[in-house]
Amino acid sequence: MSLMSFGTEIKPFDVNEIRKEFPILNRTVNNHPLVYLDNAASSQKPEFVLNKIDFYYRHLNANVHRGVHQLSQEATDAFEQARQQIAKFIGAKSDAEVIFTRGTTESINLVAYTFGMSQLKEGDEIILSALEHHSNIVPWQMICALKGAHIKVIPVFDDGSLDINWLAKAINDKTKLVAVAHVSNVLGTINPVQQIIQIAHQHGVPVLLDGAQATPHMVIDVSALDVDFYVFSSHKMYGPTGIGILYGKSSWLNILPPWQGGGEMIDQVKWSGTSYNKIPFKYEAGTPDIAGAIGLASACEYISSFDRGAVIQYEQLLLNTCTQAMGTLPGVIPVGQSPEKASVYSFNIRGLHPYDVGSILDQQGIAVRTGHHCTQPLMDRFQIPGTVRASFAMYNTVEEIEQLVKATHKAIKILS
Amino acid sequence: MQAQVSAISKEQEQVIEEFSQFSDWTDKYEYLIDLGKALPPLPEKYKTDLFAIKGCQSKVWLQAEVKEGRLYLNADSDAFITKGIIALLIRVLSGQKVEDIANADLFFIDEIGLKAHLSPTRSNGLKSMVQQIKSYARHIPDHPTTIQQTGTDQKRELMIQKVKEVFDPEIPVDIWELGLIYSLDIDEQGKVNITMTLTSPACPVAGSLPIEVQEKLLSLDFVTDVELKLVWEPAWTKSKMSDEAKMALDMF
Repeated sequence: MSLMSFGTEIKPFDVNEIRKEFPILNRTVNNHPLVYLDNAASSQKPEFVLNKIDFYYRHLNANVHRGVHQLSQEATDAFEQARQQIAKFIGAKSDAEVIFTRGTTESINLVAYTFGMSQLKEGDEIILSALEHHSNIVPWQMICALKGAHIKVIPVFDDGSLDINWLAKAINDKTKLVAVAHVSNVLGTINPVQQIIQIAHQHGVPVLLDGAQATPHMVIDVSALDVDFYVFSSHKMYGPTGIGILYGKSSWLNILPPWQGGGEMIDQVKWSGTSYNKIPFKYEAGTPDIAGAIGLASACEYISSFDRGAVIQYEQLLLNTCTQAMGTLPGVIPVGQSPEKASVYSFNIRGLHPYDVGSILDQQGIAVRTGHHCTQPLMDRFQIPGTVRASFAMYNTVEEIEQLVKATHKAIKILS
Repeated sequence: MQAQVSAISKEQEQVIEEFSQFSDWTDKYEYLIDLGKALPPLPEKYKTDLFAIKGCQSKVWLQAEVKEGRLYLNADSDAFITKGIIALLIRVLSGQKVEDIANADLFFIDEIGLKAHLSPTRSNGLKSMVQQIKSYARHIPDHPTTIQQTGTDQKRELMIQKVKEVFDPEIPVDIWELGLIYSLDIDEQGKVNITMTLTSPACPVAGSLPIEVQEKLLSLDFVTDVELKLVWEPAWTKSKMSDEAKMALDMF
């Protein structure tokens, strides 16, 4: 084992082989084999990623960008190589446009603060959408309150798709940024981001995409999208927790002010004033999560080792199987039926609270998420307290979906 | 005291005994759900934010009163399982002496295999509910008289007690003793007029502290409305602190 890559060989898609690579899938929950359908919250980690992190700590651990000693240089090389791999994975033109953060939430806060402080003034507008996660709402509320700017919201149709025509009409001279999810964490909706970017750019407005739910399931090419900021988390795409990415066009990152101050992000520090490092380091104050960066890069490498088209097709098969089978159960109301969907199936059962349904599913070893999924405004929009959400990764199987259906049937019987 | 503590314990033992008869989790949950369904309904007037236990998923409303040193609980939830656990909590705690409730060790939830529902990860408000019940037991004053008969002086005393539950997070002294409350009055309709200040306009809790004061006052059943005025004139100084506050802060 080393940090050497898989090579360029693409493995054929075989779910049974894939399952063997995820040790946690062997455990039991409440005396049942684990059926893990909470991947939109956090995915499990393959041996490949676990080993890379383990290898880093066993053989390379040192602080980066500092020491002249051999170990520090090796750690720095591994860390910067990770950045390059991730840049390649998302189609960034330069690895300087890839900033390591703690995750999607921190990435959005970074942009909200630096963009907001330098670009927003009283009366300006930020456009979000009705299906955003709290992490793409609250940072904007905070900066808008500070600067006297306002938030406008792209409405969502009953099927879970966004009203893009509204955006085309609402965008105006006061609009300073559009920030929307690439994929909805609750509804699974894949938003027409290309169209959104096109509309925004026609008005000279930059776009931030929250890619937390997209990176695990789709091929991302930030250059082809021509998106200004793209943010995502490692832990939802088979990588470790605690690390994520802010991709930003260098034309933006170069002009936005620094965010957190500290070591690493500086050029020269004097009592009379400090000058800042160039990107990406300008935005990476303090010792970074080196093992996390290597872990995320290895997750990108792991995902890339499959035929992406085959994985996407397989996940769609899981989604369709689930949608069809759950639809046969009495009282099941799917939430989110947009024609373009990632492998997320949210539902409610007439007359039952999602919490009760989730609790009974848990008793049967099935891990789903229940609640508002950090999207309270969206729940208000659909006038529901929450949903039960099953979300699939490439290691899930049709058999597991059958178990979900059986277990849900049992929940209906117990609760009704 | 000892005898009363064991009253709560005894009831818990009985619950555990009942649940031990279920070998299958399905039966256990069905029983729990039946208990919830049998719970007397909570009057709609209590199903408001005021009585809501802050939790993430299922809603829980909890209303309590103290009569002759004993706490009586009424509660409801929009989820069946939560409601079942509430029914058990009420069975074990309602009608017990306040001091026993405040000190109660609720071991039965764990013993009957429902611990998961109390963990913070479930975020269903049950953990907060137990905390709230205990807090009620500690703080709700005994009502020897009905609400309407509560005199203005007594109301004022109760309001001060409520305000004293609010702390400036940076100073370990409640805001009443700090002297942040400039005036506090209640009219006959139960509307409270309160004027307060903060130690500094830059106070990090400037947004939340007044709301907390409002919420605390609204939790009194004779309070119908709270009009809170936040003022900076006259500015607060250390001299406004009570002697107790100065003592607590070692300022003498």
